[in-house]
Amino acid sequence: MEHTVKAYGEELKNLTADVVRLGGLAEAQVADSIVSFARRDLNLAQSVIERDDKLDSLEAEIERKAIRLIALRQPVAQDLRHTVAAMKFAMQLERCGDLAKNICKRSLILAEAEPLSPLTRSIERMGNLVTGRLKDVLDAYTSHNLDRAVAVWARDDEVDEHYNSLFRELLTYMMADPRTINSCAHLLFIAKNLERIGDHATNLAEIVYFEITGEELMSERPKGDALQRIL
Amino acid sequence: MPLLQSPSPMAPEPSRGASPRAWILVLALVLGLAVLALTVAGRLASEPAGAALLSLGAISAVVWLSGAPARRLAASVTVEAAPVVGLPAAALMEVAEGLPDPVMVISGYDPGDFAGRQVLFANLAARELFRIPAEAMLLTAVRNPEVLEVVDEALFAGIEGQTFYEAGGVQDRYWNVLAKPLAAGPEGHKRALLVLRDQTDARRNERMRADFLANASHELRTPLASLAGFIDTLRGHAKDDPKARDRFLEIMAAQAWRMARLIEDLMSLSRIELNEHIRPSDTVDLSVAVSDVVDALGPQAQGAGVAFDVHCAGPAAVTGDRDQIVQVAQNLIDNGVKYAGRGGRVRIQLICGLTAAEAVALHNPNGARLSLLTPDHADQLYAAIRVTDSGPGIKRDHLPRLTERFYRVEGQKSGERLGTGLGLAIVKHIMNRHHGGLAVESEEGAGATFVVYFPLTLAVANAAAS
Ligand SMILES: Nc1ncnc2c1ncn2[C@@H]1O[C@H](COP(=O)(O)OP(=O)(O)OP(=O)(O)O)[C@@H](O)[C@H]1O
Ligand SMILES: [Mg+2]
Repeated sequence: MEHTVKAYGEELKNLTADVVRLGGLAEAQVADSIVSFARRDLNLAQSVIERDDKLDSLEAEIERKAIRLIALRQPVAQDLRHTVAAMKFAMQLERCGDLAKNICKRSLILAEAEPLSPLTRSIERMGNLVTGRLKDVLDAYTSHNLDRAVAVWARDDEVDEHYNSLFRELLTYMMADPRTINSCAHLLFIAKNLERIGDHATNLAEIVYFEITGEELMSERPKGDALQRIL
Repeated sequence: MPLLQSPSPMAPEPSRGASPRAWILVLALVLGLAVLALTVAGRLASEPAGAALLSLGAISAVVWLSGAPARRLAASVTVEAAPVVGLPAAALMEVAEGLPDPVMVISGYDPGDFAGRQVLFANLAARELFRIPAEAMLLTAVRNPEVLEVVDEALFAGIEGQTFYEAGGVQDRYWNVLAKPLAAGPEGHKRALLVLRDQTDARRNERMRADFLANASHELRTPLASLAGFIDTLRGHAKDDPKARDRFLEIMAAQAWRMARLIEDLMSLSRIELNEHIRPSDTVDLSVAVSDVVDALGPQAQGAGVAFDVHCAGPAAVTGDRDQIVQVAQNLIDNGVKYAGRGGRVRIQLICGLTAAEAVALHNPNGARLSLLTPDHADQLYAAIRVTDSGPGIKRDHLPRLTERFYRVEGQKSGERLGTGLGLAIVKHIMNRHHGGLAVESEEGAGATFVVYFPLTLAVANAAAS
């Protein structure tokens, strides 16, 4: 009997460990995708694309473990929340990985065209902001820090500000020089991907909040302007 | 990613007073002893052979830390390590604790069990870097896949390895990481030593130099080209036209002045960036610093027809670099005066005892607000300087780019003086060095507010909280 109880606690711990590992991988993928884009590092972009499989299989494993745990151990209350949170968390992280991979694919294409320096810098800045949010929310998850999770959640609008500003900058570029339209389209999607990763960070913050308190973070966040809805 | 070689060819040899080799040897011995002490204290292992091996591992690791060829020194150290076992364990613990480099001992028993990787010991530097208690699950400290990989190789394959670790966050630091296998503990638990070396200086030096050259050459090209153009004109058809000559010379003087200012600002920015990871240690009263700047800029504001409105009750003690704090206030107030324009007002407020969220809270419900710098762990109290002007404000789309080097909002009137667009970049880097924050709030057509906030020294924060 005692043995089962111990093993159960260990299973839960193991699940959390897997989620944190996946977090580390996703964080590195996103950070590397931005570096590969900004420095036109084709090798790095290629290796990010190749590493994506690792994230997919780890996510699948976490899901398998969580379902097994729920089915066999029937956890309740806090333990159930941990398990469900682990599964949801992993899903969000895996998507961040997909988006990073997509950024790299576009970087490979962009590397063949003329560099558009000011735009590159704006995207890099937005990328750093998003990586920071991802790091903060992962820190909040590993340290069970509610305040840090709420802080990430509350600053959700900053990425939108950057995105909107970048969008206008891109439009100006495309109108001034139609030859840049092709590159700008890729840049626009890279920015969009970053914005989505930012949204995932917000979702992750909500999951941490739910895991710790058992409640949902509800109040309306300030949302970006109409521009976003058109896209 | 290629592993960094040790000794790194890029890292400049630190110039210490005493012979660096001697210093290294002492440090190596000390760390070896410290780990030995841990063992003696019974926390790591019970068998003496393991203990001796453990300390040897630590010694060669520290020799690596110092950048010396490990094998040559390890031999000589082996002999000297033995006689000091007699030192009290507590004293040795204290030494391990006080080492400037983050050092951890990690254990694991099953390659498949990631939750089972434990931090058995972490010294103060390691606990601060990773924000962990002395004992913790390894994954709560590090989740970087490359670091985890070298740890695993040291634990389970007995291979010594190095990698590179970027801590992330706004106070970004770069670390060279060495993982080294240690002798196994009781019940066959594998052990490894993890030592980090700060490479931030070397990395920054390298990057700054490249940035400075790129920026300087790019930004100086335009004024230089125009100077050359005017010289040609003066030699050519303007040679005998005194009126044109005077006008051209005036423009040329302005261009030269601008180039000088550009270089000065760029150098100032480079200097600040180089020290950005070194937190200042003096205590500065913000109210005094701000009043000094207000006094100094008074004549200029009067000349520009701008009135000040100062609410600056002190004291507000923060840990900081006085000259840099003055530079921050000066840049913000100078912008306020410049953009408020004739007949305008600039309000300067000092507010003490705010949380980070309160410091950046939106005051004008019609305005847009953006944090341009948010401190990494903003769970303390701050003193904020708010500078509000009655100028044209800044369109929302421009907000994210304000702290970019050379960024200037197009189509703005800023009086006769053309800025370099480096002022706010300088402010941001200074604020980051102070572990503070920067935010902007503006409604187009209705002025702009810039807020900087500094963490209060503990005593002041306590007084403000009660
Ligand atoms: N108070 C303000 N009101 C409106 N616009 C501002 C204000 N402060 C800054 N800006 C905008 O931000 C840009 C960057 O400011 P920054 O202080 O970095 O450069 P600058 O004032 O142009 O040059 P410098 O400070 O080097 O003389 C400015 O060019 C201006 O367009
Ligand atoms: Mg300025």
